[in-house]
Amino acid sequence: MIELGTRQLEEWMDGLPKDKSYQQLKKFTEIITTDAEPEVGQTPKEVIWTKNKAKLYRYQPAMKKTNKVPILMIYALINKPYILDLYPGNSLIEHLTNKGHDVYLLDWGTPGYEDHNMKLDDYIVDYIPRAVKKVLNTSNAKEITLFGYCMGGTMTAIFTALYPQLPIRNLLLMTSPIDFGDAGLYSNWLDKRYFQLDKLVDTLGNIPFEMIDFGNKLLNPISNVVGPYVSLADRSENENFVLNWKLMQKWLNDGIPFPGASYKQWIRDFYQDNKLINDQLEVRGRKVELANINCNLLNISATRDNIALPHQIAPLNDKVSSKNKTLHSVEAGHVSVVAGRKAINEIHPYIENWITENSK
Amino acid sequence: MTQNTSFDAFTMWKGLYEKTESTWRDSIQETLQKESFAEGLGQFQSQYLQYQELVNNMTASYLKQVNMPSREEIANVATLVINVESKLDDLEDQIDGNKDNTTKEIEHLKRVVTTLDKKLDRVIQLLDKSSGSATKTNSVQIPEVSPVPAISNAKK
Repeated sequence: MIELGTRQLEEWMDGLPKDKSYQQLKKFTEIITTDAEPEVGQTPKEVIWTKNKAKLYRYQPAMKKTNKVPILMIYALINKPYILDLYPGNSLIEHLTNKGHDVYLLDWGTPGYEDHNMKLDDYIVDYIPRAVKKVLNTSNAKEITLFGYCMGGTMTAIFTALYPQLPIRNLLLMTSPIDFGDAGLYSNWLDKRYFQLDKLVDTLGNIPFEMIDFGNKLLNPISNVVGPYVSLADRSENENFVLNWKLMQKWLNDGIPFPGASYKQWIRDFYQDNKLINDQLEVRGRKVELANINCNLLNISATRDNIALPHQIAPLNDKVSSKNKTLHSVEAGHVSVVAGRKAINEIHPYIENWITENSK
Repeated sequence: MTQNTSFDAFTMWKGLYEKTESTWRDSIQETLQKESFAEGLGQFQSQYLQYQELVNNMTASYLKQVNMPSREEIANVATLVINVESKLDDLEDQIDGNKDNTTKEIEHLKRVVTTLDKKLDRVIQLLDKSSGSATKTNSVQIPEVSPVPAISNAKK
């Protein structure tokens, strides 16, 4: 029987020649085997409402709020929302709360098998309006800013189009696909003729995270699978790099299952039939018309994003009725748009300035 | 003459990766874009799902034989709990909505009572005056009027 625990590994490594290569290997091995994972989502928060697995958080409630319009962040049904509050000094939520914004986050939680019948309609009609109400009551505010990231942004745009009567002052979307006419490689892989959507959902119930992750990694397999480890080996002496590497790997591998009925809708109505941009999407019998969006809009796309391609994001600005609308393109990827050096130095301040300017 | 001949595995690995990645990236991307790849992926998916369905059916029949609840049955119980929670949430929402209306109604009632109170004060004052003058003439005492019966009288 072969047993190679960390003690045996250490003993084997002690036998190697003590040169630079050895030091690198030792450090590399420590990082991927024995080092503790960094603690994520450290900004103080309180739960103000729960429904099923979903939780509505209010961040830094004790901190003085200088901005009168609260921000509600709506996350995707893929991965966990702590990417928005990754680590002290590398957190969009921390940045906004430190600037006096009242920030809330709607975290969908981890769905269980009992949630496999949850449709996007349920999240959009039963959860988001209630969360908006809770935020307005808690903040004692008259208007709200909605912020959606990735698929959460698509859901937020649908919600805003369905409820134009609500006091939504600003809509901020980050790498949120709207037009699925050309979704890159996904359009090929999810082809109706080959992809057995109904059979997949009926057999599995919820779609496991590993399956979603496989699809994302397949977009650029060598770079996504081997690339991170080559970078780590190359820069394992750089403490800051190692911390960011660990944070990113933790988040990327810490996914959640996708509720089956929502997945079916997401693939069929969006990727296969491209209903949203063509005003053909119906949510609980109500037609979604993006032209109903008339609040201030900031739509952010990332040039190196291969999950939500820039040309999937931009068409929203042509559809909405908003007078104040901005399409902002940044040199980043799908994740580096919200976390990392570029995000901290350029994107977080840009978002904060836009919200402040449009909340006066 | 000396020469550094130490073997640097990481430099070699990095070099190999950089060369391989750039060389293979385009051809891999080209393959991934092909319809035949999607077709192959679909076939693989089909086989996987057939296997998974077989496992699901076998597990379900085994659990039935040993009198154990299946995943579906446990999920049904969870759904019942979620439905109850959902009803509670609806009730909470209604209470919150009613709270606003009740607060408004109470405020309105307060204003009405205050106005009524002022009117009663004036009535008492007038009665006091008239009783003062009556005492001077007839020495008849007017009983003290409390606000509560006054309101019920006013309603009548």
